[in-house]
Amino acid sequence: MLRSLRERVMFVGGGTQLGLGPAPEVLFSTRLLNRIVDYAPSDQVVTVEAGVTLAALQEHLNKQGQRLSLDPPLPERATLGGIVAANSFGPLRTRFGSVRDLIIGVSIVRADGTRAKGGGKVVKTVAGFDLPKLMCGSLGTLGLIATTTFRVHPLPESHATLVARGLPASGVFALVKAMRAAQLEPAAMVATREETTWEIVVRFEGFESGVKQQREKLRTLGAFEDEGDSVWAAHAAFRTAGDARVKVAALPSQLEQVVSALPAEQRLCWYPTLGLGFAMGSFEFESARHTLAALGGSLTVEAAPSGSAYGAPPDSLRVHQSMKARFDPRDLLAPGRFIGGI
Amino acid sequence: MDADIQPATPGATHATMQAPAQPVLHDVLLQLASVVGEKNCIREVEQLRTYESDGLASFRATPGVVVLPASTEEVAQVVRIAQRANLPIVARGAGTGLSGGALPIPGCVLIGLSRMKKILEVDLDNGFLRVQPGVINLDVSKHIGPGGYYYAPDPSSQSVCTIGGNVAENSGGAHCLKYGFTVNHVLGLTVVLGDGSIVKLGGPVLDEPGYDLTGVVVGSEGMLGIVTEVVLRALRKPEATRTFFATFPSTTEAGNAVSAIIASGIVPAAIEMMDKLAIVAAKAATGVDWPDVNAALLMDVDGPLAECEHTSAIASRLCSEAGALEVRVPRDAYQRDLMWKGRKSAFAAVGRISRNYLVQDGVIPRSEIAKVLREIAELAAKTGLRVANVFHAGDGNLHPLVLYDARVPGEEKKAEEFAGDILRICLRYGGSITGEHGVGADKAIYMGEMFSEGDLETMGKLRCAFDPEARFNPGKVFPTPRLCGDKPGPHKPHASELSGDAVRV
Ligand SMILES: Cc1cc2nc3c(=O)[nH]c(=O)nc-3n(C[C@H](O)[C@H](O)[C@H](O)COP(=O)(O)OP(=O)(O)OC[C@H]3O[C@@H](n4cnc5c(N)ncnc54)[C@H](O)[C@@H]3O)c2cc1C
Repeated sequence: MLRSLRERVMFVGGGTQLGLGPAPEVLFSTRLLNRIVDYAPSDQVVTVEAGVTLAALQEHLNKQGQRLSLDPPLPERATLGGIVAANSFGPLRTRFGSVRDLIIGVSIVRADGTRAKGGGKVVKTVAGFDLPKLMCGSLGTLGLIATTTFRVHPLPESHATLVARGLPASGVFALVKAMRAAQLEPAAMVATREETTWEIVVRFEGFESGVKQQREKLRTLGAFEDEGDSVWAAHAAFRTAGDARVKVAALPSQLEQVVSALPAEQRLCWYPTLGLGFAMGSFEFESARHTLAALGGSLTVEAAPSGSAYGAPPDSLRVHQSMKARFDPRDLLAPGRFIGGI
Repeated sequence: MDADIQPATPGATHATMQAPAQPVLHDVLLQLASVVGEKNCIREVEQLRTYESDGLASFRATPGVVVLPASTEEVAQVVRIAQRANLPIVARGAGTGLSGGALPIPGCVLIGLSRMKKILEVDLDNGFLRVQPGVINLDVSKHIGPGGYYYAPDPSSQSVCTIGGNVAENSGGAHCLKYGFTVNHVLGLTVVLGDGSIVKLGGPVLDEPGYDLTGVVVGSEGMLGIVTEVVLRALRKPEATRTFFATFPSTTEAGNAVSAIIASGIVPAAIEMMDKLAIVAAKAATGVDWPDVNAALLMDVDGPLAECEHTSAIASRLCSEAGALEVRVPRDAYQRDLMWKGRKSAFAAVGRISRNYLVQDGVIPRSEIAKVLREIAELAAKTGLRVANVFHAGDGNLHPLVLYDARVPGEEKKAEEFAGDILRICLRYGGSITGEHGVGADKAIYMGEMFSEGDLETMGKLRCAFDPEARFNPGKVFPTPRLCGDKPGPHKPHASELSGDAVRV
């Protein structure tokens, strides 16, 4: 089907991250690519077609006491192909990394219809160039992701969520440092601005004794209280509320600079160990973008009524363009939706 | 440095692939010397010998010239000179690679990164450091160790191999089971491309907009450009580590123990397996007091203290239930280090029990370990050769060492065929032809058995996007030589650019 393609096409999974960019002529839905192809619980490896939703996959894995350690918002709608293409993530990235750290294989269909795979179905392989990594965050500009293979993890035996409120912005990074000094290993951590102060939610996972020990240690580092799991759902809802949203990236230590670059009333959440955050609601973001770029970071629009998604393209734009030209010489796949107009 | 790796491959007594020397034009030599300095531009035939091979010493070729630049800028100038003279370029770190990745192309410009060994920036608060590619792997952990941090990927060669080589091979190590491979610990790179231009990819701030080119360059075996700076993750040391050593009547019980431990929900920091011959060799080389058994597991769990106590107790119980003969716990840090030394010296140690040997590297689904080891043993019996197995059991990464005697006519060839058949077994079980040593010159011929023509052609496109002239390390990885063909036509401006919504620079 792709081989005979003439029109500009955009691949659509659950439609949760369509963001910005010119409208394509054809939308190609991956909804029917919805099989779990292969699952070997004892090897902790699963291969799925691109249209499988994260929720469907998790349900399948949970039955064997396992999960994909990836928790972007809207799992009922978000598909694995879309999650890989958009490099989506949630709080668990704190401990388990992003898509690039969990994907081990991929098969794609190029714009000229050629099928190709890279990586493998074992947790470790270095044979050939890393097509799986190339697909992470490629936003459908290089090819259709047909199947993906992931490393999965055991479901934790136990977990605990704690919350502390009323911290100043400077207290957020101070807490990260204190937790690291205390050798705590949070599975997830997110800070959310409430008016002028910050609320921090921390999750520990693992075997019960370890979770208990860490929970007690954390309580010596701040005014932490136990909190129910619903706070994570609230966080996901916070991240998807409204129709305007930007992603900010800086060093973990730069939260205060990030805060002062954004309007004071902006709704903001921040993953304190990662240096990544999301600001909700529409605002004039160009000056914040410049400030963040000067810090070595970035501001990317995930959804907005207007404005360009990306700031000045990176140093390596030439390589990006050359990659696009080699993979999609007729410029058919999601044209104009990527950095530098790719 | 190069001398250190000699014992690793005593198999290299012959010169299977000796390619003739090809002189580089005098004028080009002068230009190169003017960039890096006379003494860092090596062209005496005798001295060039040192660079004829990497750890896979059965492949040899003489470079045209070896240059040892000291900075990114010098590397860029060297690359421009080589480009103008149309010479291939091969990068080299410490030369410990086991797949012929740093094997020279006859007459090439070989760029040795050994002088670029500065640690440029350390920011432990933000969990990263920036280093030059010639920095030795272990020196990174040594540098940040006193502050309570470490660099996770720990190849057994870590006391000699370089970060640049690790990046090119996406090297692994025993502790990669829990913590991931080099690619999971590299945040950004500075790369000199084939036209001598310098690009920065990624960096300490996560999620630079664009393709994950950092992830693509890691593991690209020196074929996309020369890496001149690397931003590495620095990890906080875990609160506790618990190690134990369990012995088994055979690798079948040991394999079952590994499966049981993984199935229990434990993510061990490392689980290494050794079979009888590997144990004998490690004992001979390091003097560890291990019993003569058919199989052993060396395992680490780490993390918060209470969790560690719990998981190590479960894991040793599971070993006993799987039929362990004995479970030993080191008394102190010294004993623990000794156990790990025994494991990490295993490749070289095999030199004690065999005149020659080949190091193989293949991957299988970890639940199939026992079956695959049986198949390998059957093959060994059929060919009459011995195999020592020492490997990363947790992620199914086998390192069968095929022992032979090069003085016996035909035995070397038999060993090579046997090693190849082991890879075919791995593929039959859905695995890979290499888990960490890379394809290089050695395994290019097997790529076509693991990948289809479409797969390889697509990987070729990736390479051409970086290096359209195939300047870097030509002839490696791909089973048949590939040209990039005409550069695709100029990128047409897109409507969004014309309307000013997007810019191109
Ligand atoms: C005893 C022994 C044990 C080993 N154990 C392990 C192990 O446990 N795990 C593992 O993964 N490997 C292991 N290896 C293999 C080897 O040590 C690794 O592949 C290592 O990363 C190679 O580093 P090097 O500096 O020696 O690189 P080299 O051998 O010099 O080069 C390797 C490749 O990297 C390229 N390269 C080097 N520097 C650069 C640069 N700056 N830019 C671009 N390309 C570059 C070269 O062109 C070549 O393709 C072992 C080797 C030995 C001898």
